[in-house]
Amino acid sequence: MKEKLYKKEIWITIIFSFLLMLTGHFASIFVLFPSLKGAMMWGFPIEYIVPILMGWFGMMVVCFVMAIVCNQFDDDMEAYAKTQGQQVMTDKTKGSV
Amino acid sequence: MGNEFAITNVWIGVVVVVILFAICYLIGWYSSKMTTSEEDFYAAGFKIGPVTNGLGMAATWASLATFLGVIALIAKLQVPFVYLWIQWAISIPLLTLLYGTSLRRMKAFTPGVFIKARYGKGATLTIACWMILIMIMYALGQMIGLGQAFEMLFGIPYNIALVIAGIATVGYITLGGMYGASYNAAFQMVLMTIAMIVPMGAIMKSMGSSGWWFPPLAYGDMVPAMLKVLPTFFDMKYDIRWYFALIPAFTLGPVALPHLAMRVFTSSSVKNARWAVVWFVLFLGLLFSGTYTSGFAGNYFVATTGKTIAKADQTLLILNVFYNPVWVAAFVMGGALAAGLSTVGGNLMAISGLVGNDLLSIMAPSMDSKTRIKWGFVALAMGGVIAVLLAFKPPKFLVTSILWAFGLLASTATPGILLGVWWKEANKLALIVSANICGLIFIIISPHVFPGIVVGKGISAALGMSGGLVTVPLSFTLFILLSLVFNRMPALKAWAPTLEDKKVIDRIHGWGDYDETRYNGVVWPSVIAVVCLFITIWGLQPWS
Repeated sequence: MKEKLYKKEIWITIIFSFLLMLTGHFASIFVLFPSLKGAMMWGFPIEYIVPILMGWFGMMVVCFVMAIVCNQFDDDMEAYAKTQGQQVMTDKTKGSV
Repeated sequence: MGNEFAITNVWIGVVVVVILFAICYLIGWYSSKMTTSEEDFYAAGFKIGPVTNGLGMAATWASLATFLGVIALIAKLQVPFVYLWIQWAISIPLLTLLYGTSLRRMKAFTPGVFIKARYGKGATLTIACWMILIMIMYALGQMIGLGQAFEMLFGIPYNIALVIAGIATVGYITLGGMYGASYNAAFQMVLMTIAMIVPMGAIMKSMGSSGWWFPPLAYGDMVPAMLKVLPTFFDMKYDIRWYFALIPAFTLGPVALPHLAMRVFTSSSVKNARWAVVWFVLFLGLLFSGTYTSGFAGNYFVATTGKTIAKADQTLLILNVFYNPVWVAAFVMGGALAAGLSTVGGNLMAISGLVGNDLLSIMAPSMDSKTRIKWGFVALAMGGVIAVLLAFKPPKFLVTSILWAFGLLASTATPGILLGVWWKEANKLALIVSANICGLIFIIISPHVFPGIVVGKGISAALGMSGGLVTVPLSFTLFILLSLVFNRMPALKAWAPTLEDKKVIDRIHGWGDYDETRYNGVVWPSVIAVVCLFITIWGLQPWS
């Protein structure tokens, strides 16, 4: 279980880092694949409007899913620690490190 | 400093500024009554809810440049600068994911608290000093903008405007501490969003756009006319290296900005910090999209009317004077002021935390918390005074110094924070050496200090993008390789991470036990070091 949680944490971090970078830097996709350019959406060239939409709503969706997944992961960590009789540092813990 | 924009009735400007500052002082005064401890002063008692914090995060990030400098740079660089601006929104989600919630769990006031717990005093002094330098540069940019805004509103000389704006601003921020900074930032975000979006709708209607009902995304019908007179506006212009260079300087730099991290730390819980990030992206996206519309409209105005805007910084205000009643223009100016105030509030709180908490806890460890808070107030006020004094001779482009500073931060602080949270081998001496070497190289190869020794050219070099593509990956490579070497040298044993240092990492990730193998590999850091080395070499190739 401990090993599984550790791997899960690493994968969550890698996947959401990648998704955040993708949504924030979506314009690079059109530089890497110029053939995607040329179409229009809502009156704009897609290489203009899609990066704006991805950097706003796309990123918001990623952050929404990230909040759900990471908060669930925190619950799993605390539940695991409880089964082991361990005390974990949470935001309710008195004092700092 | 002259300007093309001036409120014809100065008293309208006076009324806008007086009302704005009256509200800020009222919030500051109310907040001061809630401040009784260091937790209150530096972290708003760890009590800010997700919506307020999302607004506060967005306001702290959206600086005066959102109203002034950015639109000037969109006019100059056109669409590539829009792409540059879009990626700012990654900063707070990424820092929250990579270290924000871990540091919130340990109840850090600033990233310096973690650096001290993980690396000790020497590294804290190094990183805190770099961060303070960058925060002063950041606050300087805001002070220049505030001075210019007062100059435009009242038609008074810049130096006098700067002193008035500086005193008024530092006063209310000092009064309220982090509670005041948080609640004021939330109020300022609402104000600046309305000031950006609503008058732009009226401008678009006057320009003949049917999308005036939603300015951030509905100006597509203006595109054909724009392309007829300015066919290059949507050209992506640069090669992939230019777009990749946004990552080291402008994505990884802001990740370590202490005033952004401190917004995450004020959250009422780790979970709420993550929800605050969702609100942050929503609010910031709305404001930033309004900024792109303004940049588009500015170019459209010049292209279709044949008029010239000599001072591109003032494009939004000139559009409002041209198309809207004078009181609307004054209100937009109020929005711009709010943008500057919220960011400078965050900058000064960060300086206060870095000096009053991080540095003082090293230099005077026996000082009691009440005295430390007093020094925090003094540091806050002094940071403001220094920014005002420096702003008497401002740089040419309002926004340049801020953007350049991001590359400097990414070269000095980002590797230490990220690897410190995720890698147990990260060595104290390696951090000090790599941060200082790469910070100095970044300064040397920028065009601002030694114009004869520059990597890259033009705007890419001036903004620190080409320099950052060299020094940021180099900093990661050096830090990783030196850590691996130093940890295996008996003579440098004192600098190697202790068991206690390593336990910090497991604890802030939420583990109840300690496992030596966690966050302790050699293969992946080595791969990252090699990849970063190749990126550095790529960055050193001549720029076209």
